[in-house]
Amino acid sequence: MKRNKIIEFFKDLALFLYALFALFPLVWLVIISFKHDRDMFTTTFIFNPTLENYKIIFSDGSFIGYFIDNLIVSSGAIALSVIVGVPAAYALARFNFKGRETIAFTFLSFRFAPEIFVVLPIFLIYQQIGLYDTYFGLIWVFQVLSLPLMIWILRGYFEDISVEMEHAARMDGYTWWQVFLKMIMPLIKPGLVASALLSLIFVWNNFTFSLLLAGQDVMTTTVAMVGYLSSDTVHYGQMAAAVLISALPIIILALAIQKHLVRGLSMGAVKG
Amino acid sequence: MADIRLENISKRFNNDIALNDVNIEVKDKEFFIIFGPAGAGKTTLLNVIAGIHMPNHGAVYLQDQYINHVEPEDRNIAMVFEDYALYPHLSVFDNIASPLRSPRYKKPEPEIKKEVERVAEILNIEWLLERSPDQLSNGQRQRVGLGRALVREPNVYLMDEPITHLDAKLRHQMRAELKEMQKSLDTTTIYVTHDYLEALSLGDRIAVINEGQIMQVGTPEEVYFFPENEFVAGSFGEPEINIFEGDIMTSEQVDFSPFFGQSAFGFLPKEKQQVLGNKGLQTIRIGLRPKDIHFQFEPVNSKEYIKGKVFSFEPLGAKAVLTVEINGKYIRITMKYNEDISINQDVYIKIDLNTAIYFDELGNNLLSQFSAKRRGMAWQN
Amino acid sequence: MAKLVLHQLKKIYAKKDEKVYAVKNLNLDCSDGEFVALLGPSGCGKSTTLRMIAGLEEITEGDILIGGRKVNDLHPKDRNIGLAFENYAMYPPLSVYDNISFNLRAGGVQKKEIKQRINKIAELLDIQDLLDFKPGMLSGGQKQRVNIARALIREPEVLLLDEPLSHLDGKVRQKMRTEIKHLHTEINSTTIIVTHDQLEAMALADRIAIIKEGELQQFGTPYEVFNHPQNEFVAGFIGEPPMNIMEVLTIRNKGRLFFKTKNNVISFPVPDNYVQYVRENETYHFGIRPTDISVVEGEDFSVETNVSIFENLGEECRVHIRLEEQTMFSIVSSELLNLKQGDPVKLKFEQHRIHIFHPSSGERIENVLQEV
Repeated sequence: MKRNKIIEFFKDLALFLYALFALFPLVWLVIISFKHDRDMFTTTFIFNPTLENYKIIFSDGSFIGYFIDNLIVSSGAIALSVIVGVPAAYALARFNFKGRETIAFTFLSFRFAPEIFVVLPIFLIYQQIGLYDTYFGLIWVFQVLSLPLMIWILRGYFEDISVEMEHAARMDGYTWWQVFLKMIMPLIKPGLVASALLSLIFVWNNFTFSLLLAGQDVMTTTVAMVGYLSSDTVHYGQMAAAVLISALPIIILALAIQKHLVRGLSMGAVKG
Repeated sequence: MADIRLENISKRFNNDIALNDVNIEVKDKEFFIIFGPAGAGKTTLLNVIAGIHMPNHGAVYLQDQYINHVEPEDRNIAMVFEDYALYPHLSVFDNIASPLRSPRYKKPEPEIKKEVERVAEILNIEWLLERSPDQLSNGQRQRVGLGRALVREPNVYLMDEPITHLDAKLRHQMRAELKEMQKSLDTTTIYVTHDYLEALSLGDRIAVINEGQIMQVGTPEEVYFFPENEFVAGSFGEPEINIFEGDIMTSEQVDFSPFFGQSAFGFLPKEKQQVLGNKGLQTIRIGLRPKDIHFQFEPVNSKEYIKGKVFSFEPLGAKAVLTVEINGKYIRITMKYNEDISINQDVYIKIDLNTAIYFDELGNNLLSQFSAKRRGMAWQN
Repeated sequence: MAKLVLHQLKKIYAKKDEKVYAVKNLNLDCSDGEFVALLGPSGCGKSTTLRMIAGLEEITEGDILIGGRKVNDLHPKDRNIGLAFENYAMYPPLSVYDNISFNLRAGGVQKKEIKQRINKIAELLDIQDLLDFKPGMLSGGQKQRVNIARALIREPEVLLLDEPLSHLDGKVRQKMRTEIKHLHTEINSTTIIVTHDQLEAMALADRIAIIKEGELQQFGTPYEVFNHPQNEFVAGFIGEPPMNIMEVLTIRNKGRLFFKTKNNVISFPVPDNYVQYVRENETYHFGIRPTDISVVEGEDFSVETNVSIFENLGEECRVHIRLEEQTMFSIVSSELLNLKQGDPVKLKFEQHRIHIFHPSSGERIENVLQEV
């Protein structure tokens, strides 16, 4: 009994140390977001906290604009992925057509190429067809990030729902659309929520595409952050405050649906 | 009125032929069984009737209406599924209520409540209505599946192996309950099964299907006593029917030496001699049910008896199965379990051709028409 | 060839702070060459017992003796047992021949001898033509034969079969059952089979050990467990269709003791051999097998009632009588009957084939009193 307790204590200690290690950058970010630029390299934990950085960020209103841009682009990409991804996943799960696995693999392969690898051709194409620096241009390219994930997760969900259940609902007097909305959608909801959230995080934090395919009319927060690196000085405090604010929605969202996220990614549609 | 007619139905999945020129007529209010081994095409046939699969060829008629292109939700057919196909996110109550809430069969909520409770009482699941399907045992799930079908008044009930997944004892009980319910259903029912006991017990008529083709359609009496061919004969009864091969020597004698390697004779019943003799056959295949074979352990010196060895003896409670080996062939015999039998002891069997079914070399029944008239067995259901 | 003895065998799992008995004080004495079945519903501890005999599971307490030798601490391969796994557990890339010979080769047996032994076993199990096949090409029945061949190749003293028929269907299952039964007389080694199917146990075993929740309920021949079940559990578990069991009250009427069901459908004079064991105005559980009731004409009957359900099943007929909302009793007749729902029937219960159980303990009545 006594030995067990000692083991338990060491386990807890190890976990605590790891948590400290993992969370420290975040803590550091919070600290410097409350520092004056002049305190930046002279103090560590003891300083006069200030809201100056936050004031500057919000004073000219441009940051709010970036934030809204980010919101439009991200939610647009997710909405597009849901509209395209749900039917696509259903088709890949249910219908046995020629080249099914090839198509499914092609979708997944979108995630294989590094972003920097494809961004140049896309840049040239966008310049030509006038999608450069537009909302739709970014939505279109972000959708490439979120769609494969969504299709792969949802396909598993659809495969878990027995075809007989769909048939049963048809016999019960529902049309195919009603079956889909009333019987199937509730069953894939955990997967849909989880994959949408995960995609949202990827898209929200994307830097490469936002930087190279937009920048004047449409600017996301990740790109805006670079603006704090001016030629003569780096405004670490303002940068930290901006990072914290742009990360906030994701953190809140992730905490709120953390339970669904884990369950949605690890479980199929039909329990037991 | 709800009779169903299937005309020349064929169905292929890619290159696999699931149904091959199936013709069936199900009469109004009939309890019709589709019986066959796994992979015979039973469920495909049911799905064609339900409208879930379109046949590649042929026509489906419901009350003389051509319905090939009618969507499943518009056919007014209720179905019970083998794996229950319950809605996992809905309670038992909502599962049963689901047809009555659909746009096609919509009813007001108070009436739905009454109907669901009525059905739940018939099925003895009133106390489960609040639960979700994953909290139920298989037997209970199947009752819910039945409830969802019984809650409305369809043209036709389709039941796809509804009690297959239950254990032997529960199956015995559920079969009896289904039979009890049958009279009150009073609706055309098509019931798919691979269990011959269910087929014989429940069916008004049985269609025996194998590899997508109908082997025989008939009453339980007809398929059991007068099978069209060896496949049908072998499908009903456990242990399986024994098939012997023999040479017709004269019009009244059959010699079994080609089968057993020893000479033994059987005499054809008088009334069958002429019919069989007229066909000009040389060899004949004879089917005998395991309970119709005479055996004894005391040696006899008669040409009618064939000597063999006990290959195995399996007591099964009140009865037992005795397997006898003669010349590398096995003969299954059912007997009352009351004596001790040791394996490899000698046993003498006698083939009595009075109770036999006669097949030609291709396995087709030679006398189906003749014997049906002869044997006026009443088969009451 | 050896005796197998299980002595006070226990398997305890610690589950949080409480002890869970998977196997509880199991005593079994299997004679040399005997075919014994461990039978029970899933989760009753039968497979755990088998795994303990095989050496795949540690023994919490008690002893296992094979041929008089204690094997508790021996490695599985030193126990001289052969185990045929339920799911065949074959090596897919190896041919049937290599699968069977695998552990012989591992044990360094000469090639020539391996060949001889495999040929012998292959002939016994009728798999000579399959030796070059890969497991993936075999049917279920063939796989099971190879599986058994592999267990037999080391000429074990004890052969263990774990649910050998459960993955086979219908006719193949029946054929395989017959073959296993015959095989046992050929090899004649002590054989233990684990199964949840009572028909399988009855058909195959010389003696059946019926286990429930880790405890032995009865150990006897198929004849004994079927005709003299020790308790209600055994009575209900053995036999298909199951034994009819009804709650009855003993009532004295004109100097004679009767068993009566609540709704008076059944009123049956207590047979002489039970009179000394039952008391008046007591509740008992009255059991009778469906095959021990017959439909009769004339005056010599036990019960007069109406048919609720009638089934004609070809070889036999079944009549069901609904006693109350939930309870039904069944009659199986091998005579061809011609009845329908609602018909009046007279039923005769076989006097000497009724079973009386204590309503709370479920013990068979005559036994309880005999012990006193």
